[in-house]
Amino acid sequence: MAEREVTWGPRGSHTLIGKEVSRIDGVEKASGAAKYTNDMNQPGTLFARLLTCTHAKAKVTRLNVDKAKAIAGVHTVYLFKDIGENAECNYDGELVAAVAAETADIAEDGVRAIEVAYEVLPHVVDEQDLEAARAAKRLKYDDDGKEVPLVDRTVGDPDKAIADADVVHTGYYGIHTISHMCLEPHGAHCTWDESGDGPKLTARHSTQAVSTTGPQFASQFGLDASDVRVICNYIGGGFGSKFAADIWGWAAAQMSKDTGRPVRLMLDRATELKTPGTRPSGFANVTVAATKDGKITAWKSHHWGTNGPQGGTIDGNQMPYVFDPPNKHVVSQGIATDCGPNRAWRAPNHPQLCAITDTALTDLAAKLNMSPVDLYKANLDQLDDTAKENSKLYAAELDRAAELMEWEKKWHAHGKGGNGPVKRGLGVALHRWGGQSVKCSSEVRIFADGGAQASIGSQDLGTGTRTVIAMVLAETCGLPLEKVKARLGSNEYVYGNPSGGSITVGSVTGATRRAALEATGILFDKVAEKYKVDAKTLSLGDEAVWSDKKKVCSWKDACRLIGPEPITATGPSPVADGLTSKLVGGVQMADVSVDTETGVIRINRMVAVQDCGLVINEKTAKSQVYGGLIMGIAYATNEERIMDNNSGRYINADMETYKLPRIGDIGELIVEFYQPDSEYNRGVVGLGEPPVISTGAAIANAVANATGVRVPVLPMTPKRVLDALAQA
Amino acid sequence: MRDFEYEAPTTLANAIAVLAKNNGSARPLAGGTDLIDHVRCGRLEPDVVVDVKKIDELNVLELNDSGLRLGAATPCYRIYGCPEISQQYAALTDSCRIIGGIQIQSRASVGGNICNSGPAADSTPSVIVLGGICVIEGPGGRREVPAEEFCTGPGKNVLKPGELLVEIKFPARPANSGSHYRRFIPRNEMDIAVVGVGASVVLDDSKENIVSARVALGAVAPTPLYVPAVGDAIAGQPANEDTLRKAGAVAKELVTPITDMRGTAEYRVHLTGVLTERVLQAAISRARGEAICTKIGH
Repeated sequence: MAEREVTWGPRGSHTLIGKEVSRIDGVEKASGAAKYTNDMNQPGTLFARLLTCTHAKAKVTRLNVDKAKAIAGVHTVYLFKDIGENAECNYDGELVAAVAAETADIAEDGVRAIEVAYEVLPHVVDEQDLEAARAAKRLKYDDDGKEVPLVDRTVGDPDKAIADADVVHTGYYGIHTISHMCLEPHGAHCTWDESGDGPKLTARHSTQAVSTTGPQFASQFGLDASDVRVICNYIGGGFGSKFAADIWGWAAAQMSKDTGRPVRLMLDRATELKTPGTRPSGFANVTVAATKDGKITAWKSHHWGTNGPQGGTIDGNQMPYVFDPPNKHVVSQGIATDCGPNRAWRAPNHPQLCAITDTALTDLAAKLNMSPVDLYKANLDQLDDTAKENSKLYAAELDRAAELMEWEKKWHAHGKGGNGPVKRGLGVALHRWGGQSVKCSSEVRIFADGGAQASIGSQDLGTGTRTVIAMVLAETCGLPLEKVKARLGSNEYVYGNPSGGSITVGSVTGATRRAALEATGILFDKVAEKYKVDAKTLSLGDEAVWSDKKKVCSWKDACRLIGPEPITATGPSPVADGLTSKLVGGVQMADVSVDTETGVIRINRMVAVQDCGLVINEKTAKSQVYGGLIMGIAYATNEERIMDNNSGRYINADMETYKLPRIGDIGELIVEFYQPDSEYNRGVVGLGEPPVISTGAAIANAVANATGVRVPVLPMTPKRVLDALAQA
Repeated sequence: MRDFEYEAPTTLANAIAVLAKNNGSARPLAGGTDLIDHVRCGRLEPDVVVDVKKIDELNVLELNDSGLRLGAATPCYRIYGCPEISQQYAALTDSCRIIGGIQIQSRASVGGNICNSGPAADSTPSVIVLGGICVIEGPGGRREVPAEEFCTGPGKNVLKPGELLVEIKFPARPANSGSHYRRFIPRNEMDIAVVGVGASVVLDDSKENIVSARVALGAVAPTPLYVPAVGDAIAGQPANEDTLRKAGAVAKELVTPITDMRGTAEYRVHLTGVLTERVLQAAISRARGEAICTKIGH
């Protein structure tokens, strides 16, 4: 077989790769033609509605569903909880029962008809008050009952370094819990059908993992993995919370099995906010010390927070973030709260670590009368092991971001943001991420009629995965984008990666490139034999096969040589062949105005300079960064889960009071990829998570620069801004 | 969502008849931007929904020498789409421009906003300060109620079963007058007011002194609140910073806000003062023929 060199080819040689290409499914999505799980409406579908616990901690003492079952149109009731062994509810919103009925309205009537009673137990939902958690015995304890931290790590001699330092800054910082708030809630449409020889269970599941949730359905029902088909062609957000079959997916499958009808069970909005995942909180006392030149010599932090009933918080082993001073002492403690559990949220731990580290460092810079950009630059020789690889990139990215922000022109000392009630300021923060490819296959087929397709058991989270797969296939085959097909979103295709950890773009494009190179190599053999040319000289472009710049034949003519059996090649991932790489860094800057009489923050401009190796699709890649910035603006300004200490309930679990940004809150976003040839040559690295990491810290730092006052806890709601100003 | 009957009368008489027949279990539907949400969420369970958009009297929008007639079902976009109304009744069109987004403004009506009787209704303070009179028709005939007396509690108003708000009448604007509405929301757009302030001022011919002023506050009391004491405190005073500060201080004394997740009582009192000053300043600027910046908080 003609072996094609496994590279992306020289920079600038592409018709598609690196260009701004609109999503191939954009029109379907924008027009509503794209079918999401919640749009699945097979004939006979029953609709499910949920009964959830209305207490933070309680035992179900009575659960009678007879009246619900008696309602005409109600087909089945599924119990997540019951009196007896499985009676305990551990947070507001925990699932108790589901009713499946002919219509959603009848299902709601069914839910209302369920008789449920609870024994209400004492609760703790305060994530910020460490002393209250201590009094309630909600921390971690050893076998003797002694309170022990989750992490207690010392490097060097931080106390001595602090004593010897020229400047020491001490501060309090924090970041509250947020929910994932997927626009499309979690849920599944399940069809149980044992007739015929097809899969017994088809789960049209809103998932980030079509290939790995099938076995989770199968094991629950004693099926073979091959008996379960999982389909997810489109998904309205996951952010790390949709990797599992989930108990509501199992419930939908069970209810379909019991009724012989398809069942659609989507979480309602309140339950979507309360139940399927949150991002943990962290609150920290920090001491950081430096020489008068801004070299950080020591870091001490004690942080606490919650990730729900498990009693975790943000990862103490990664504190401080990116920077790694020679002396440090980090303690972390988790509070076991009666709140909804956590799940991975876009860049798990990193936004919170950054919001605590980079804020403290900016305050240190202010104390040194330095610009934080200069402080960061002074410490690029002491980065943690992951960030180290990027030390040179950070310097260049800081410079480029400063240019785009007009930093030199706009920068002023801490608190010199103007004389009127509205103050203006700048902030900066930086981040790191992995983005390495993982196990994934892509099956490429080329047909005798010239058709070409790549299929992968992965999914498009809305990031443009379908488009980049098609781009790589089209580029490799020398075809226009619209003449190839990219198939994904089903576990009936070859195994594809779950989409989490910013691993997808490298995995699917690497695998597809390898498969397409192999498939076209086979095609070259056929062309070489027919047209008496050396296969090694052949290349593809403009829908034709070329030999040393001479056209040999058209793509269609070449494909006619294939015969009835299509050329099939399966490309693997990961392979250390240079197509993909890992580790990225990025810098973000914020320009904000703060109304010191009302506390409202307005984002004037955000700048994001991001490296991610070779960019396959500049347009969808930029969209990832825009999305990251917007999510960052959300958790920096208004987005938070509000728990009521008295009732223990999640009181803003709706789209009115769970405050996400409007267009008017977003300001001007400037996104640029840092991509010199050295970056192109690294190959593809994932991008999904990094752009959301440093946004919050950058905005918080800009508010501090504007007003001269640190608003210590994110989100910086107007109330918190005014409180901080009043206390200053 | 509970099933309901739908009626769409084309005459006022028929609408009143349907409402009267159902004795309190019918809800009028204008834009529906609140009603549909309430019904879907189960907060309201009407037996009959009476679409009033097809009745001519409720779609009146007429500006003449004696003032402005605003049909109760007239959507926001028609109101701010009229340059003369935007110029003369600026507080009203300020409100109409910030209620929801464009889709909402294409449906939502000022009449619906006042009948919904939420304490944080964005158009009600404007209607009050511009001297709006609510024209009500019912089985017992027609009556008129000043806008500041229309709402009686959260979600409650003077309408009796069978009665319908037909239109709001506004007097002609005096010379040297200006008005403004602004709300405080934690975000920069499309949110529920934590505090809302409407103000209308009349200046003397020198445009340096306040002849009279009307101020109304939203979201700081069980109903949108007309605060004549603020106007009384600044009538006859020079239109300057000291006077505005005095107005803010008086307003803060008059409010009785609640603490909830949107803001503490103390915080709302503070914002009442800040917004009263800012809104009066903007109304004065307009009375002087100056343009104002209507971006929230800036």
